[in-house]
Amino acid sequence: MHAARAKVIWSVIAWTIVLAVVFPLIWMIVTSVKPQSELFSIPPTLAPETITFEHYVRLLTETPFLQYFRNSMILAVTTTLVVVTLGTLGAYSLVRFKYRGRETLATLVLFTYLMPSVVLIIPLYLMMVKLGLANTLTSLVIAYTTFALPYALWLLRSFMSGIPEDLESAALVDGAGRMGAFFDVILPQALPGVVSTALFTFILCWNEYLFALVLVNSDSVRPLTAGTMNMLITAFNIDWSLLMAASVMMSLPLIVIFTFLQGTLTKGFGAGAVKG
Amino acid sequence: MHSVPPSLEKRYAMIGAVLIAPTVLVFCAVILYPLISAIYLSLFSIYTPTLAGEWVGVDNYGALLASGDFWNAVLNTLIWTVGTLTLQLVCGVAVALLLNQSIVFQSLARSLILFPYFLSTVVAVLVWRWLFNDLYGILNHVLLIAGLIDAPVNWLGQMPNAMISVILVGAWKYFPFVVIAVLARLQSIPEQLYEAATIDGAGPFQRFTDITLPQLRDVLVVVVLLRAIWDFKEFDLIYLMTGGGPVKATQTLSLLVYEEAFRLNRMGMASTYAVAMMLVLLGFTLLYLRQTNRLEEG
Amino acid sequence: MLAESISVAQGDSIAHDRLPMTDWPSIEGRSITRRDALKHLAAAGLATAASACGGTDANGTGGVTLRWWSTQAAPAQLAAYRAQIALFEAAHPGVEVVFEAMSDEGYSTQLAAAFASGEVPHLITHMPSFAVQGYYAHGLIEPFDDVIEAIGASDFYLGANDVYRAADGRYVGTAIGNTAADMLWIRRDLMERAEIQAIPETWDELRAACRAMQGGGIYGAPLPYGLNSANSLTFIGFVHRAGGSVFTPDLEIALDQQATYDALEFYRSMLELCPPGASGYSWGEMLTSFVSGATATGLYAGRVLANVAAQNPQIADSITCAHYPRMSRDIPAWTYNDFPCVCIPSAASNKAEAKLFAASLFDPAGYIPQLHAAPGHVLPVLETVAEDPAYRDNPIIDKYPEEIDLMASAAAQGYNLGFETKAHQPNPKAGEVIASNAIAEMVQRVVLNDEDAQVAVGNTAMRLEEIMRS
Repeated sequence: MHAARAKVIWSVIAWTIVLAVVFPLIWMIVTSVKPQSELFSIPPTLAPETITFEHYVRLLTETPFLQYFRNSMILAVTTTLVVVTLGTLGAYSLVRFKYRGRETLATLVLFTYLMPSVVLIIPLYLMMVKLGLANTLTSLVIAYTTFALPYALWLLRSFMSGIPEDLESAALVDGAGRMGAFFDVILPQALPGVVSTALFTFILCWNEYLFALVLVNSDSVRPLTAGTMNMLITAFNIDWSLLMAASVMMSLPLIVIFTFLQGTLTKGFGAGAVKG
Repeated sequence: MHSVPPSLEKRYAMIGAVLIAPTVLVFCAVILYPLISAIYLSLFSIYTPTLAGEWVGVDNYGALLASGDFWNAVLNTLIWTVGTLTLQLVCGVAVALLLNQSIVFQSLARSLILFPYFLSTVVAVLVWRWLFNDLYGILNHVLLIAGLIDAPVNWLGQMPNAMISVILVGAWKYFPFVVIAVLARLQSIPEQLYEAATIDGAGPFQRFTDITLPQLRDVLVVVVLLRAIWDFKEFDLIYLMTGGGPVKATQTLSLLVYEEAFRLNRMGMASTYAVAMMLVLLGFTLLYLRQTNRLEEG
Repeated sequence: MLAESISVAQGDSIAHDRLPMTDWPSIEGRSITRRDALKHLAAAGLATAASACGGTDANGTGGVTLRWWSTQAAPAQLAAYRAQIALFEAAHPGVEVVFEAMSDEGYSTQLAAAFASGEVPHLITHMPSFAVQGYYAHGLIEPFDDVIEAIGASDFYLGANDVYRAADGRYVGTAIGNTAADMLWIRRDLMERAEIQAIPETWDELRAACRAMQGGGIYGAPLPYGLNSANSLTFIGFVHRAGGSVFTPDLEIALDQQATYDALEFYRSMLELCPPGASGYSWGEMLTSFVSGATATGLYAGRVLANVAAQNPQIADSITCAHYPRMSRDIPAWTYNDFPCVCIPSAASNKAEAKLFAASLFDPAGYIPQLHAAPGHVLPVLETVAEDPAYRDNPIIDKYPEEIDLMASAAAQGYNLGFETKAHQPNPKAGEVIASNAIAEMVQRVVLNDEDAQVAVGNTAMRLEEIMRS
């Protein structure tokens, strides 16, 4: 009917745009299954004449790719958990509690973002060496937490300030403590913001390059970006086939994870909880 | 909140402080030292690998202000930032609205749209350079076949193409960030508001301006602030795409910082550029926050 | 384990009277066999290990761990390195070697962090020679004379190590391989079709040949006009092929000379023979343009051979290389070789073991497989290895023997901005000069923007002056 027709129109428009945006991914996938002899055909071809998975096999068996993948996963998941925890608690504090210097604090944490990371990297590395954390994933977790936290605070703050205070008051009147009210009322309402913060932090950890390059040197703890770049990209030569295969393998799992996460963001969450 | 007895008020304040403490701790411990040392180093002339050098006071700043490169970079940075930020916002909000509708495979579409953002910048630029290539790049090929051009376009080697290409790729790479934030906010707008407005006779455009936009305001304030800062500082994308060329036409401030720090091995001068960048960003941030706070109160 | 090794060293009567360790034989002195020099290093290393109570590494487990950093870590090369490490570890129990890849674009950042913090690796390889010279000038690199001895100074191509001699007369490292980075690559089939008899040797001949071969979707040459190091490095080669140099032998700026203007004119005249996107080209495009068959000539290193074999086998039988043409026949040929290094940071621990390992990298048993991992691109620095049948036993090297030999000798006689001719002093600021893109910018201004050459060259000379002074 009318709704079904609208759905079709919106779907067509939306998917056209999505496919246009994702075209480089399509190109990467196509290139990664082409044999090397088809890489630079002139004129360029989209569809491969022969499909081969040799690059994926090589990537997984002859390189430390899986090790890098595991490191990136550990790094990203840990940092996301830390940032979401500290961020939600901190945002709650900024929104619902009164204490001196509240606004200044919120503005001050933005200072993290004012300097280009190029000049921060060496002092940060020296600090990590002094702390005995050089060449560990922990140093990256700390560095990335610092970069993700201000964003988390601000975004979650804007979400939580939109939640009506009556909801919380109701819970308090019912006998819950402040933290109880937080978990039962605030958190569920702010869930889209929490998920969005988690997505942002995860992506930050997954594709950050400069800090991963400098703070970590051993393959056993190196994350994906630095690992694959160092291996496959030099000034004189780029191993295109392996690089495309690696990039596809770095992207597809994320798409799966994010699809799953997005599914939890159901529309109309919390609607109807407030009367009048 | 309804009024609470003073003792409880104080207790609440302490809980509040405790909740924000870890964040403050992380910030102070990790970033404060590098921030201050970067500012400190700008007063020296430093050889990067040894961090050894000598005091030059404000000579670095004098050299910076006198150099044509600095002002050229400021202009380029502004052009780049404004260009790409505008595109990111417009496309980001538009696509978020689109993906908020009921469409098939909605979750898949929403996660695919994030692809540019989570693809590593190095790989993204390599792929785009390939797509832009004049001999074996598919973009020129398709345009030639479609008859829109008669010779391959030089996307990156001449102006104004280079700046436009960089702005477009920047927008492609970062607009999903806007989509994430805006989409999340759109999820929490209660459906009843729209229903009530429709009953009152409001059309789709009016519903958008009267309900959606005000609700989005808070998120957009944060998004514009952060994206502006990050776009201003962007290095990898521009450096890898054009190297600052042709002839410094796309050389932004962050490229200058990197060049000074690790290619010319002059950490002192690099810090000077960084401090200059920081002052610009600081000025913008404070001004921006004051504006948005005033609007909020007014 | 330790005792056995020491007794082996002492059992050999030749080594017996060479101790104490500080008495290194000079390179010009009596002929020293490689075995003797290795025993020196071994004795020194084991003595150090013994005196350090069995040697402790960072883990304190009682063994020695060496960290090896390199910018070239493609899977094929990684496999070769692992084999070399295994050979070394088997011969030296108690020593472990860990390989860690560096970014080729970002190694200056990684090393800056390493040097500043003292967390340096024990061995660094594959950096350009001028990078090593630059670091040495700031006291960050260990002199390498004894390792060169241990490898066998006479095994190297004649004069191959001159590029690594510092101003104080000591060697700061050596090349782990040679790369003839700017050879002329040309398509014989296209030459035939255009009825060109001989491979061009002068600029006029090159222009004529490219013009004749251009057409039908194929361009003459893929020269780099982008704002990047490919541009700077290529152009420096052309200045030399016009008979000039960027610096005088005493490292004064020599840029404002006729040769520079001639080179600029030549570079400008080639622009129309290059694809439209050449104003943004860098190494990657230079390689792929020729390999994919889009240009009749190329300017590149031996990587072309392996890439053609893998990506465009149809033209594999028609490609050959030669010295890149120079302005006139009486100007000597000049080849850019970045002389990828082997060097040891001065702040490294366990230097004796590191030197032993560095020397072992040149053992034919492990060295040849390493060269085979990038055939034609990384060429042997030891003349003895180049003639070794085991080295020739590789499909690419076997298919293109003349090209390989030409590149090997051209590279061994090669130069770069850090060492422009035999008469030049080593230039520790060459790395910064390249990295500043000052020369690339000059090229772009004159060739792309049509700015006045005198003004551009003058400004660039001032810029170089500033970099040399800073």
